[in-house]
Amino acid sequence: MKDAYNIILSGVGGQGLMLLSSVFGEVCAKTGTHIVTGEQHGLSQRSGSISVHLRIGADALSPLIAYGEADLAIAMEATEALRYLEYLREGAPIVMSSRVIHPPLETAALVDAGAADHDYFALADIMERLRGVTTSIVALDALALAEKAGTARAENVVLLGAACGVKGFPLKADDAREAVERIVPPKTVEANRAAFDMGFDACCAAFEE
Amino acid sequence: MGFSELVDTKPKTAYMLANEAVARALLEADVKVAAFYPGSPTSEILDTMGAFAPSFDDLVVEVAANEKVAFETAAGASFAGVRSFTSMKSVGLNVASDAFYSIGYTGVRGGMVLLIADDPHAHSSQSEQDGRFFAFPAHVPMLEPATAQEAHDMVAYAYELSERYGMVVMIRTTTRVNHQSSLVSVGQVKRSPRSRHPWKDVRAPYFTLSATARKLKGERLASLALMQRDAAECPFTTVSEGEGDIGIITSGVSYLYTIESLQTLGISPSVLKLGMTHPLPTATIAAFLQGKRTVVVVEELMPYLEREVRSIAQETAPHVHILGKMSGDFPYVGEYSIPVVVQGLSSALGIDGAPPYEAHRVKVEALKEGIPHRSPIFCPGCPHRATLWSVYMALKGTDYVLNNDIGCYSMYLMEPYNSSDSLLCMGASLGVSSGMQHVLSDQVVAFVGDSTFFHAALPGLVNAVHNNHNLLLVIFNNSVTAMTGQQPNPGSDFGPLPVTRLNIEQVVRGIGVEHVYPVDTFDPKGNIPIIKEALAHTGVRVVISNGPCALYNDRLRRKAGTPIVPNAVDHGVCDAIYACVRKVHCPAIQLDEATKKSVIQADLCNGCNVCAKMCPVGAINPRGGDGA
Repeated sequence: MKDAYNIILSGVGGQGLMLLSSVFGEVCAKTGTHIVTGEQHGLSQRSGSISVHLRIGADALSPLIAYGEADLAIAMEATEALRYLEYLREGAPIVMSSRVIHPPLETAALVDAGAADHDYFALADIMERLRGVTTSIVALDALALAEKAGTARAENVVLLGAACGVKGFPLKADDAREAVERIVPPKTVEANRAAFDMGFDACCAAFEE
Repeated sequence: MGFSELVDTKPKTAYMLANEAVARALLEADVKVAAFYPGSPTSEILDTMGAFAPSFDDLVVEVAANEKVAFETAAGASFAGVRSFTSMKSVGLNVASDAFYSIGYTGVRGGMVLLIADDPHAHSSQSEQDGRFFAFPAHVPMLEPATAQEAHDMVAYAYELSERYGMVVMIRTTTRVNHQSSLVSVGQVKRSPRSRHPWKDVRAPYFTLSATARKLKGERLASLALMQRDAAECPFTTVSEGEGDIGIITSGVSYLYTIESLQTLGISPSVLKLGMTHPLPTATIAAFLQGKRTVVVVEELMPYLEREVRSIAQETAPHVHILGKMSGDFPYVGEYSIPVVVQGLSSALGIDGAPPYEAHRVKVEALKEGIPHRSPIFCPGCPHRATLWSVYMALKGTDYVLNNDIGCYSMYLMEPYNSSDSLLCMGASLGVSSGMQHVLSDQVVAFVGDSTFFHAALPGLVNAVHNNHNLLLVIFNNSVTAMTGQQPNPGSDFGPLPVTRLNIEQVVRGIGVEHVYPVDTFDPKGNIPIIKEALAHTGVRVVISNGPCALYNDRLRRKAGTPIVPNAVDHGVCDAIYACVRKVHCPAIQLDEATKKSVIQADLCNGCNVCAKMCPVGAINPRGGDGA
């Protein structure tokens, strides 16, 4: 059995995926745990599909996760949860935002087809398709929770908090929360702490149901 | 990792991107002059070095006009006696290769290291160019790291090698090495003072011509022959003895895929991992081949190692089967991963036991059918969106050909625009347009960004003016090199160290262009008649569309404390005409699922007002029209 816990992170450019990667790194540096990532930089633009392969454990060498071998998916946007689904192991958990950010091309196609009698690719459809691989899904309105916590920018931290509530997650919640507090701008520490806890609590509640 | 930790001089183990680890290693190696032109996947080396520059008064970091100038700047500093560095993307070395091939003859004095990063899968490049093939004809030694730690450690080794042999050393990476983060152990930073000294202290000849060239070539080849020993003893070359008569030869990130793939398949053949891939350690490879029945070569892109191993086997072990791409077991196209290597090894070795990667992928592909594409698109607030619309409207009804160039505006060739006819390489839009205007009856239009203009389009413009060509050039002047992360270019007013800003309009007029039209990007309707006027003239005409990159502008606004005021749609006024959708294609705009009217997502909107200017009924403004 390989000592490797694989996480596929996904979202839309600008949502703060790189901050999440840094939090994992900070915690692993503190505990001396091996970590490797395959990150997507390059065409520097907002609003594109973006993913980070993140692997923790002594046997995790490759910066890319093999198909069907991610132990957890964290998705900042619902369509993106589906886009990288081939990496997720059958039955493994997904922690995701229920937010759908429709790409401009989808909106343009909808308008061209006739917006009155056509609909977007909907959240319910996405959830149904995700269940083709796993039923262990925690979908949160991360944007609403982040706004409630004090800043819309903390959408990512809500989901990190939620991920810490997943059984088998390799980071201790306290370590992750502390790393967030160190990394985020000082003015937003309070809001991010609140966002983290809201995510954590929401995930624990979801698993109890 | 946080910048404060990276710049702190003490040894430590910390989480960092491989590109950051390289920059840290350059500090530790006491490199004095580093010059760059940004290019993915190397840009973060420049960014990190640029951030270091103000903290170390002995360190010079420059953003050069292009890779050739960056390479030559590093060469000059090395000739003058200090350690120097440059890094560039794969195709960057095409631009710098003229100097690169000559320096392969002249050699260097202060240690000089060049890092080039190939991009298997062409994630953010125009080709899957394999830069390893530069090393052999240029007589330049080459190292290949697999991990962030190796990328760090190889820097010191490369400088030592460079100074011992008086040759430039190349470190060759790939995207999955550069953009790997992990825990890296770094050493002490100890900088020496940088003082000026006279040329006579270090004077040596650095030219190559006819008889000198023949002499120098012989000397370099002799040095490379001597370097066989270094290649054999290279600390980054390892042999792990395994079971049976099967062996694997690999290098770089492919080594990581290989080790995990072997675990997955439950086999343990011998593995030779090469850290130096030019010159190749011929004796090490020959010894590895001895007693093997089959040797599989695992490498991305072209069969560079495979051909060399075949040639060594022909001399020393002709009965060994050498398998890889040339045997049809591994693909030539795309990047490797564990599934690709597992498949390749299974095919080459005729073994079963591969996990059902493909079946899983196919199953999920079916679940993903019809999923909306989220292809790269202009950011909210991007100035190009408005410029492109104005140009499109001005050209409407004419016959035209449009030659594009490298930058964010390249996306004009993709959905939803599909509006470009050519895109070759940096600066090519002008040369290609020059050729076309000799032959075609259409309006010939060239696009170029500010950074690409200075990088490689200047000679094209000089040429077009000199030869009385007939074309329209549109310069997208957004103040920075946007696509690679908003680095400065000669038109920017900032740099790692103090700079002088060049004014594009003055440059264009100075070259002799008479018809120059500077416009404000964010006035899309007002710009249509101006562009039409430019089209009505003959000769070389230049439209300069001025408007800052949205991401750069966000940074400026954050720094100045200027709030970003998002727009909103007044649904009482909105008539569902969808001009904001069809003409703007902004990621911040989508339809309300119930009313099917446009809504602007406040956290994505950049407040550029282009959609508001397009709306024929005036439904868009910062308050949504209702004071809410």
